[in-house]
Amino acid sequence: MGRNRAHIWFVGPAVLLMIVLLILPVFVAAALSFTDYSLGNSSFDWVGTKNYDALFSRSSYAKMFSASLTYVLLVVPISVALGLGSALLISSLRIGGELYKAVFFLPVMATLLAMAIVWEFALHPIVGIVNDVLSAGCDIGWLHALLSGSWLGRDPLSSWYGDGCADSFPLWLGDKDYALGTIAFIGIWQGFGFNMVLYLAGLTSVPRELYQAAQMDGADSAWERFKLVTWPMLGPTNVFVITISSIRSFQVFDTVEALTRGGPSKSTYVMIYAMFEKGVKQNLLGIGSAITIIFLGFVLILTLIQVYFVNRKVHYG
Amino acid sequence: MAGITLRQVTKKYGTLSVLNGIDLDIADGEFLTLVGPSGCGKSTTLRIIAGLEAQSTGDVKIDDRLVNDVRPSQRDLAMVFQSYALYPHLTVQQNLMTPLRMRDLNFWERLPLLGFLVPGRRAKMAQIEEDARKVAEALKIVPLLGRKPGQLSGGQRQRVALGRAMVRNPAAFLMDEPLSNLDASLRVHMRAELSELHRDLGATFVYVTHDQAEALTMSDRMAVMMDGDLLQLGPPDEVYEDPQDIRVAEFIGSPKMNILPGESDANGTITCLGLTLDEGLATPQPGKVSVGLRPEHLHVQPRETAECFSGRLTYKENLGSDLFLHLEMAGVENKAVIRAKPHEVDFAAVGETVWFKAESGRMRVFGTDGKRVALTAPDTKRKVG
Repeated sequence: MGRNRAHIWFVGPAVLLMIVLLILPVFVAAALSFTDYSLGNSSFDWVGTKNYDALFSRSSYAKMFSASLTYVLLVVPISVALGLGSALLISSLRIGGELYKAVFFLPVMATLLAMAIVWEFALHPIVGIVNDVLSAGCDIGWLHALLSGSWLGRDPLSSWYGDGCADSFPLWLGDKDYALGTIAFIGIWQGFGFNMVLYLAGLTSVPRELYQAAQMDGADSAWERFKLVTWPMLGPTNVFVITISSIRSFQVFDTVEALTRGGPSKSTYVMIYAMFEKGVKQNLLGIGSAITIIFLGFVLILTLIQVYFVNRKVHYG
Repeated sequence: MAGITLRQVTKKYGTLSVLNGIDLDIADGEFLTLVGPSGCGKSTTLRIIAGLEAQSTGDVKIDDRLVNDVRPSQRDLAMVFQSYALYPHLTVQQNLMTPLRMRDLNFWERLPLLGFLVPGRRAKMAQIEEDARKVAEALKIVPLLGRKPGQLSGGQRQRVALGRAMVRNPAAFLMDEPLSNLDASLRVHMRAELSELHRDLGATFVYVTHDQAEALTMSDRMAVMMDGDLLQLGPPDEVYEDPQDIRVAEFIGSPKMNILPGESDANGTITCLGLTLDEGLATPQPGKVSVGLRPEHLHVQPRETAECFSGRLTYKENLGSDLFLHLEMAGVENKAVIRAKPHEVDFAAVGETVWFKAESGRMRVFGTDGKRVALTAPDTKRKVG
């Protein structure tokens, strides 16, 4: 009989830890999302779907979804394309590839919070180096003509650059039209090196004989070989990179917390920041949990899409 | 259909020279095998013919057209790779159609979606499908057309790779160890099938292999390469019978040729392990020589007679039809091997001494530089070895 119970002792601790540390918190969050519980309160009331109703009706939460989705839709395609492009260029190098790899990977290794502070200085509307450089260009005649389009005979004030010279350049993080784009730019700057490394790994697994076969078959240009061999062979890498980038982009928090705190006028009010603000700063655990559950839903959908593609479409074995 | 000519082709990687001036004339419609141990430069030679690698110096001509600066796809050659290199994301049919799509459709017609709008594309595609189908029928792979390479067995992939090479009707086929990923029985079967295919197509085949059995069985002529040099070029039986270099002699033939140490005197008389041989050097020169004797030209004697070689039997290798006797001989580094019929050597037991004689006129003698040296006709006055 003792032998029959032995398996419990092998599997039990792992299962117990998994339940306590990974699965239970999700259920607790799910349960809390139907309450009005605040940390420190001795009791709470079940409020049904009130928290979710608020999420889908109030305009600040509409802004939250729109900010998160816009961020993801900006960061994922650009950082994936940049990652793939730089990986292709680096893998075609005979020398110097290691240097480029190290340089592009630096932002990935750096602490994002520290980097965010550097960006904050750089993007400062008055003393920041970005606007300094932009306005320095206004005084150089040909550069101003080139960037404002006036060399084509257009009115310089109708262009973004000309208008900036005449009036002032954007406040970047302080302008609701620019803040999310700026945060997204920092996200891309920080993240594409990671995608590059994943693509470099993917590229090494493409058999060289396939490229030679493509050459024999008449794929003379690099573009033809990319279409015939590289892109299809990178299928599994693509799915992985896109999923990882999407999940990481949904999780953006540190730059928002450090630079904009969700503002101006909630233009950068992304989901994780909203979760933090509601659940931690304002101690509204119910609504925070509801946001968490919706967030998990997004991640779950992304993961299911990945599993579907990995199993059906991109593995040729 | 085309002949291929290589003139003084060399290849260097930095200071490392992998080809030292290869001269090779491949006739139109010939099945030529490049054979040699790994690292001998045979694959590099093939890839230089294909244009996948550029030679350091020298010329490659296809049908008298200099192709040194011609792209691989413009050389009108097809290649079959060791790993088959089929496109794993495409079906067998699409794999077969790829070379034709690349050749017959222009850039716009190959674009996804947009390509369908180009006038005339439909007719071209119909022709391409038709061509691919014909090849599939010839290779009996029609039922596989809808499958992807990952769902095929090794032999089926091999056929598809052949098919992809055939669809374009290339001037010549280049094959880089195409059978080495197959299991033994399938390999033997495919040898016959490739020979048949060569006969049917009448095309030039350049075939690279490290397997001398493939070279001997399939080729019209074989080129034995070693250390970046082409050592000997000729029909298989000529290379087997008359190796011009000791490295060729040892590489071709299984089990390999026995090399015994010998010495020649000023008259050209050769002594080997204390025996005087019945052939001497045509141009007498005193010094050390190597005497090569193939296992099938050694005959076991039932008892010790005069002028016999002897050795201690260490191993009897039974192949059913033949028996290989491995002998340890005093003064010889490697074990000597004798091929015999099982009933001829019943009496020989492992651990005992075995006596044997060499067939007259069969020995091949090599100088200290490894080159073959000519012999006089068997001299009956000299003693028989």
